[in-house]
Amino acid sequence: MGNDRYNAVVVGAGPAGVTAALSMAKNNLSVALIERGKYPGCKNMTGGTIASMPFSQILPEYWKIKDIPLERRIVSDELWLLDNDSAVRMGFTGKKFGMAPYNKHTVLRYKFDRWYADQAIKAGAKLFCSSLAVDLVYHKTGPLAKKVDGVILEGGDVIHADVVILAEGAQAALTQKAGLRKRLKPNEMTLYVKEVLELPAERIEDRFNLERGEGASIGMIGFPTSPGIGKGGIWTNKDSLSVIVGGYLNQISGKGLNPLGLLERFKGHPLVKRLIEGAKPIKYMGHIIPKGGFKKIPTLVDDGIIVVGDAAEMISGRRGMDLAMITGQFAAESVAQACALDRYSRDILASYEERVKGSFFYQNMKKGKSTEAYFNKHQDSDFLITKAMNDFGYKYFEQNLDSDKSNLLKMLEELINMQPLSKSAKDVLFGLQNWGVL
Amino acid sequence: MGYFNKTQRDPLELVTIIPDEKPHIFIKKDSVCIKECENKPCTFYCPSRVYYWEDDSIKVLYERCIECGACPYGCPYDNIAWQFPGGGFGVVY
Ligand SMILES: Cc1cc2nc3c(=O)[nH]c(=O)nc-3n(C[C@H](O)[C@H](O)[C@H](O)COP(=O)(O)OP(=O)(O)OC[C@H]3O[C@@H](n4cnc5c(N)ncnc54)[C@H](O)[C@@H]3O)c2cc1C
Ligand code: SF4
Ligand code: SF4
Repeated sequence: MGNDRYNAVVVGAGPAGVTAALSMAKNNLSVALIERGKYPGCKNMTGGTIASMPFSQILPEYWKIKDIPLERRIVSDELWLLDNDSAVRMGFTGKKFGMAPYNKHTVLRYKFDRWYADQAIKAGAKLFCSSLAVDLVYHKTGPLAKKVDGVILEGGDVIHADVVILAEGAQAALTQKAGLRKRLKPNEMTLYVKEVLELPAERIEDRFNLERGEGASIGMIGFPTSPGIGKGGIWTNKDSLSVIVGGYLNQISGKGLNPLGLLERFKGHPLVKRLIEGAKPIKYMGHIIPKGGFKKIPTLVDDGIIVVGDAAEMISGRRGMDLAMITGQFAAESVAQACALDRYSRDILASYEERVKGSFFYQNMKKGKSTEAYFNKHQDSDFLITKAMNDFGYKYFEQNLDSDKSNLLKMLEELINMQPLSKSAKDVLFGLQNWGVL
Repeated sequence: MGYFNKTQRDPLELVTIIPDEKPHIFIKKDSVCIKECENKPCTFYCPSRVYYWEDDSIKVLYERCIECGACPYGCPYDNIAWQFPGGGFGVVY
């Protein structure tokens, strides 16, 4: 390995790195893909779903590819404002989403990433597993100038390359080492735990009101991490359920919450319990999500180096895997151009940055700025809206002897008294945005 | 508020971990844990109970780490030096 030189070396075989490697290999570039895990995906976790439209731009009609480990096609998406023994539910079910070109598919990363990396290998990329990249190597390009020229693996081996693509995920050790990303604060990241629970396919379909192969996703705010801001979620896989809970790390740490304790408590909620009844836990995992938002987006390119995916904090609402793929694809295109010119300086690679800045998700992230500030200020907002809406629900649906009209007026009065109505409406809006529905 | 307490179940029954021979987690200064850190949040925010307090110092069971990435950020005193375990070691989901 020591004397090898590649057009590009990619650090990390998650969706970002594999997409970059796949796309460059298809372009006949030589690519080394470095993964610290025993196999791709064995370190990785996600909630739930991969968005079909962006993924099919990378692998057209991916759902037809042999052996692709997709779990279910999502037709039903719900958000629950969950209180102690009640829930206000909002959602949408669309049969069209169950047909090609689909909307979202659930995946389990320990299966999916491995399969996806195989596609890159088939296209010609070279995958090195159980290999931890510990540093970058530089090449002098002038008296004061240098460019990144490869990576050093643990043990000292060096892999040289014209461009290094950092696709190392949320922790982003090398991106920080290269001075491209600032350290995140605990209020700029969320921590989630997840359990996968086995349940036969027919029971999942009965329970979630699905036809064969269809899937459902339910996000929940309020109860899961009350009194802090966070979420619970349930996704249906082929013959298992993914259950996650988590929230902002500063709140978990500051309010004395234990993620596993939150998971147990969430699973014990009367409305959640019935969804997972009889399902057997088979996996437990944990992972952070970078939530530094727009202001913390790292420097995306420098001489000989590009940052993609979670390492570049490309997260918008609930979406991350697809943004990882898209940025991986953008990076691959810029590297192909750079190779054609045989120039790898920042100004050439800047075409990557321009593509990112012109993308829909960059605009979304920009929009999300206001949400962050709001949540930092109102740590109880999820909790408050959930309470208010559930009290409202109990009153609204309760059968009593008052006329319907006086009932509604009474309720509105109470809702107004609970907190200023303008704030409630705003809370709902931000709650939905935080979950990524809006 | 029972859920503030740590649950008794050991989550690691569901996890495969191949521990590296050498630790990948270090406490920078024991004295900070002892003298400055009142609540010892690492003992509860860590999802797999790597940290526990015993005999007036923080103990680190690095073999239990599921590499969620939280601890270097969750420690209010930036007192945890955390890095990835060696290639091929650590958690295998
Ligand atoms: C609880 C949770 C729920 C989520 N839900 C969703 C969802 O429903 N939909 C969605 O689209 N996104 C979701 N996301 C976000 C999504 O998982 C991430 O955005 C996505 O995984 C990022 O991909 P990536 O390739 O950038 O990084 P990763 O998937 O983290 O991959 C990085 C890879 O690099 C390897 N690596 C790191 N450092 C090194 C090194 N130094 N040397 C060698 N290898 C290294 C790692 O082992 C890993 O395989 C969720 C995330 C979490 C935590
Ligand atoms: S949180 Fe940090 S300072 Fe406090 S006990 Fe744990 S390691 Fe020590
Ligand atoms: S990385 Fe996560 S699991 Fe490992 S010690 Fe830190 S908090 Fe615990």
